[in-house]
Amino acid sequence: MPKRMSWCGGSTLTVLLLILATPGLAQMEALPSGPPTRAQEVSAAAENDPIESVNRKIFWFNDHLDMYVLEPVAKGWHFVLPDRVETSITNFFYNLRFPIHTLNDLLQGKFKNAGIDVGRFVVNTTVGVAGFFDPATGWGLPMHWEDFGQTLGWWGVGPGPYLVLPILGPSDLRDGGGLIVDSAASITPFFVNTYILLGARAVELVNTRAQYLDVVRKAKESAFDYYTFVRNAYLQRRVGLINDEEPHEDAGQEDLYHPEGK
Amino acid sequence: MKSMRGWGVLQEVRSWFVVALAFGLVAASTRVAPAADTPPQVVRKLTDAVIAVLQEKSMSADAKRDKIRNIVVDYIDFPTMSRLVLARNWSGLNEGQKKSFIEEFKQHLSVTYGKNVESYNNEKVQITGDRDESRGDWTVQTKILRPEGGGDILVDYRLRQVSGEWKVIDLVIERVSLVSNFRSQFQDVMANGGIDRLLKLLHEKNAAGQPLKS
Repeated sequence: MPKRMSWCGGSTLTVLLLILATPGLAQMEALPSGPPTRAQEVSAAAENDPIESVNRKIFWFNDHLDMYVLEPVAKGWHFVLPDRVETSITNFFYNLRFPIHTLNDLLQGKFKNAGIDVGRFVVNTTVGVAGFFDPATGWGLPMHWEDFGQTLGWWGVGPGPYLVLPILGPSDLRDGGGLIVDSAASITPFFVNTYILLGARAVELVNTRAQYLDVVRKAKESAFDYYTFVRNAYLQRRVGLINDEEPHEDAGQEDLYHPEGK
Repeated sequence: MKSMRGWGVLQEVRSWFVVALAFGLVAASTRVAPAADTPPQVVRKLTDAVIAVLQEKSMSADAKRDKIRNIVVDYIDFPTMSRLVLARNWSGLNEGQKKSFIEEFKQHLSVTYGKNVESYNNEKVQITGDRDESRGDWTVQTKILRPEGGGDILVDYRLRQVSGEWKVIDLVIERVSLVSNFRSQFQDVMANGGIDRLLKLLHEKNAAGQPLKS
């Protein structure tokens, strides 16, 4: 399953996300007053997708954009570049996410992980030559993904309705809103030329897509309904990422593994 | 004297007791021994067997697929998995439909996973932990290590005991449960065309994906 591609196209996108996110904010479950509750497991019936028909259209658009533009480019990229170079580029962009990861670690009280993320950034930026290599993982500083959507989820905010964002792909109200916060926290050297920044984003996007050529092809081949496949996988994965500290059974699993009840 | 004899009897009783205990233990252990492996052992055997086939250099891709299919069929409890995947829809099926669904679903998974045979790239499987779940299920956590890069992949196996043996009933890949994912898709299909449409789709897909001869 492809990870969400973290392509942030700057101000237009932010505006778009704001438009998408604000009218529905009231629909978000109330912020918890007590200790964080654990995110609900995704059971098939609970996939909250009230604007499915709109989502399907955007999904179709994204899929065609992918088929006709992104995938062919990514294939060429993958054909030309050795795997090692691709991995290095992945490492480079991952390293730049350090402020986002650290901030969200702190917001979730994961102080140890925040320390690990700072350590990773220091090690990989220096020893790892500006982040192109990842010696930190081998030194007991593993990578882990954190974003503001996860932080909200950790504090008990539900996903809200499922959303398919143009170009960005599967998301939900909570995670889409989280993208805005994360893009504010990302390293965007404003003194760098806009075209260079856009170029860097394009490289990141193509490189990320190149990592998932096989995965996406197989997923499409095996899926009965690719839209439902992606929606379910996205929502499940987000629940998993939010609960990563204590991956244990809970309410929704009862339905999943004992559908007959009792 | 009397006390000595009493002592002797006691000794005798005690030694018999020890012998009986020893026999009892042996008997008990022989009864336990042939019984099932623990869940982590089951997963270890499964992944070792699959990797051994993948590493065969002289075997053709087709032969590998066949072998892997046979291994997987041994370790996965397809009837249970089918029931979980169809959930509430399961009870509405007649015996014949249930049987064909199990068969087609089994075929579908082996076709899908058989396709991965060619892309083996020295991956190794590491068992990272296990835990008991509610109502006797067991989860074994593993990590697929990819030495050629690309990052590790987390795969959890959920097992359930069926007549003394642990069988796999779900795979959770990077936190995405296959059972949940298939359930979601199949619910969509069944909502627009019922079990007949689902069986037809499964059959068509399996036929297109060059089903493996059994």
